[in-house]
Amino acid sequence: MTMHNDPIFESVYRDTLPKVARMVHRMGGDLDTAKDIFHDAVIICLEKKQQNAVNIGSDQAYILGIARILCLRRLKDDRQYVTIHAHEDDYGIPSDFYDPPPVSQPVISFLKNAGKRCLQLLQAFYYDKLPMAEIARHLQYKTQHVATVQKYKCLEKIREQVKQTQHEEAAL
Amino acid sequence: MRKQLCEIRDIEQYLEHQQDTADQRVFEARVLTSPDLAEKMSYQQKIVQLVRWLARRNKRQQLDTLYHQLMTDETYRQKITSIFR
Repeated sequence: MTMHNDPIFESVYRDTLPKVARMVHRMGGDLDTAKDIFHDAVIICLEKKQQNAVNIGSDQAYILGIARILCLRRLKDDRQYVTIHAHEDDYGIPSDFYDPPPVSQPVISFLKNAGKRCLQLLQAFYYDKLPMAEIARHLQYKTQHVATVQKYKCLEKIREQVKQTQHEEAAL
Repeated sequence: MRKQLCEIRDIEQYLEHQQDTADQRVFEARVLTSPDLAEKMSYQQKIVQLVRWLARRNKRQQLDTLYHQLMTDETYRQKITSIFR
């Protein structure tokens, strides 16, 4: 199951959203909350599948399981979005899932505007966890080695930007 | 590959747990004795966190688009909104 133009994904989405909505409604949440919880559960499911972290038999059952935990945290617990360290089981929420952005808005804007290709490359490696050979092919680098060196150059470039921005902020 | 890029590779291999135990210990010792390397590692770690954060934000935006597309189907929209009446 992938997100992009995948009829299986769309079918799971279409069938599972009403079930999550009923659960959220029972716990006193509104439609927007249901949508947000559902989307977070979908993202966690996709990440776990990508990493082969758990054995997911049914996507819908897994999304419902995650959504139930997110619901309990958000609607039944005053401590909204607190990391549940005790849930180190199949339904564990990634510990950094609700972390704020690790850098300031200027760095995010810089990355989005100037570093689109870098970001694609880094995302494919660090988030999608794709092998470098596949990344090189997909992003049309001549060889795997060229893509790897480019990845390090991207890290160097962005690191300098983060460093400079943080130093500027510290000087204010 | 130039020295600076080799250092970035070493940091990446440490952060991604791609080294054996002996190499990890050596790298940790280097970090302890070099504030410059420690700072570079900290920034690199932030970038990886940022990449994940942006990827998730991007996915949320794509899912929002799909949600709005589905809600243009009147029958489906009724099915969802009736739950909250």
